[in-house]
Amino acid sequence: MTATIVAAAPDVSPEDSSRQAARGRRMRRRAFAGTIVMLVLALLWAMPLLALVLTGVKSVSDFDAHGALSFPQSFTLSNFRSAWGVGQFGTAFINSGLITAVKVPIGVLITSLLSYALAKLRMPFRRTITFALLMGLTIPIFIAVVPIFTMLRSVHLTDNLWGLLLPYLAFGIPFEVLVLTSFFRRVPQEVIEAARIDGASEVRVFFSVLLPLSMPAIITVAILDAVATWNELVIALIILNSPSHRTVPLSLLNFQGQFTTNFSGLAAGILIALLPILLVYALLQKWIVSGLTAGALKG
Amino acid sequence: MSHGRRKARNLRPMATSLAFAAPALLVYAAFLVYPAIYSIRLSFTSWDGLSPVKQFVGFGNYSKLLHDPVVHTAVRNNLIWAFVTVIVPIALGLGLAIAVNSRIYLRPLIRTIFYTPAVLPLVGVGTIWGWLFEPTGIVNDLLGHIGLGALQHAWLGDSTTAIWAITVPACWVRAGFPMLLYLAALQGIPNDYYESARIDGASRWQQFRYITLPSLKGAHAIVFALALIDTARVFDLVIAMTNGGPGNSTQVMGTWMYFNVFQSYNAGYGTAIAVVITIVAAIVGIPYVRSQAKEL
Repeated sequence: MTATIVAAAPDVSPEDSSRQAARGRRMRRRAFAGTIVMLVLALLWAMPLLALVLTGVKSVSDFDAHGALSFPQSFTLSNFRSAWGVGQFGTAFINSGLITAVKVPIGVLITSLLSYALAKLRMPFRRTITFALLMGLTIPIFIAVVPIFTMLRSVHLTDNLWGLLLPYLAFGIPFEVLVLTSFFRRVPQEVIEAARIDGASEVRVFFSVLLPLSMPAIITVAILDAVATWNELVIALIILNSPSHRTVPLSLLNFQGQFTTNFSGLAAGILIALLPILLVYALLQKWIVSGLTAGALKG
Repeated sequence: MSHGRRKARNLRPMATSLAFAAPALLVYAAFLVYPAIYSIRLSFTSWDGLSPVKQFVGFGNYSKLLHDPVVHTAVRNNLIWAFVTVIVPIALGLGLAIAVNSRIYLRPLIRTIFYTPAVLPLVGVGTIWGWLFEPTGIVNDLLGHIGLGALQHAWLGDSTTAIWAITVPACWVRAGFPMLLYLAALQGIPNDYYESARIDGASRWQQFRYITLPSLKGAHAIVFALALIDTARVFDLVIAMTNGGPGNSTQVMGTWMYFNVFQSYNAGYGTAIAVVITIVAAIVGIPYVRSQAKEL
């Protein structure tokens, strides 16, 4: 979804050109005013994050004297240094990065295979299976956590980063199936038939015809899945325990409890923890934005 | 063609499709379907989560639930949550979409800023807003500056305001998605419609009322369904901002389940709470699931 400005179609009526120019000027002025209003609103909207930055880069005494929203007297990185040490965010980044890097490719692969079967192959009980999979969109995770915990405990995978993998895969499947199946359906059947007539096996059709054609959907799903995995709290809270295994949300939760009076340190820590996701969003926002609307507004 | 051969010919593609579907279906069955069904069984026991015996207690947990004052609070909070976090973000999102869709510059940047909260981990959002709502925090600061010092308040420390305060960041996070969807829907309306309406002398309000609003019907349905489904999941923000306090006043069904299972070792009772919230979520979500399943 590109957000080019949908300007009114150029006026082709035989209007006199000075009137047209005046109208154009008026419209530009209005667009300019509208932009200013929206920028102010956006600034207000981003205020919690801006307050975080302003607080994180000023000294504790500056914060105590002038509050959160004043411009810093001088810039300091000391808050970030102490927050980094206390929060153990390095460990958390590694843990969240590892589980995301393993979970997302596996999840996208197995869900693509499943979606191919649902969209393009003759699948028995297709309707029932689709319905059961999509029910996963509405089921809150709470219904599954106790058995998940005991199952993982019986194979000694609690308090282990890799204990997260299978539940994360399972709970990622419904949304991925929704997006990928509807995308695969729109891949023309003739393309696939042509490959089959050329003697390609289904595995080949999948890997060399369908996947390359579906790259935009695959990438979008992978990015959204990565964001969700990186941010997940409930299962991580239940499965993980030791500090060395904490993911980013867990380390933030823990960090928050240790910085209840030092607000500059707290702000710095939150910023550190949010930095990777903010960077990813800034770089990949096009995919995120288009993917979300594609998933919901099918067709 | 003999019956047997036809059958064999039909079976092969089915076997192929099952082979493709198997890995994901197995994971889904083992780590979502099976645990969900097993939880229903556990909800009829007084299991503590550890001991080998799972004493069957019939509907004991469910009748206990009816008399648990914290469950009453949690149900009330879930309803408040559903009401606020469905209506406010959708209204905000629609307003933002219309504003962003009007003739302005820097549209992608502005859209990106408004969607930013939605990608942050909810724990992070909760931590930020917990800090803003501190008695000496920015919210009270600003209230003082604009002459509303009388409203200054320990927002999260007071059991009457705490749950409402937690809905504020929820709205902040969740306005972005409806905005994107409405924006996509708005951009899908052909410009000719407005042109011809203008030629026919339709006012701006009439254009909005008779062209814009009807064109958003599909988006309304999806936005509303997804928002409603999401309300049952409230957990992260409560844990990050109040941890259910003060005095259990901000417990919701999800957190109260968590506290029962993992802090008081009432796994049977906790799963009963989970079963209740799941049934409600499933009933609410089924129309949406059916409509999506039909499309696939």
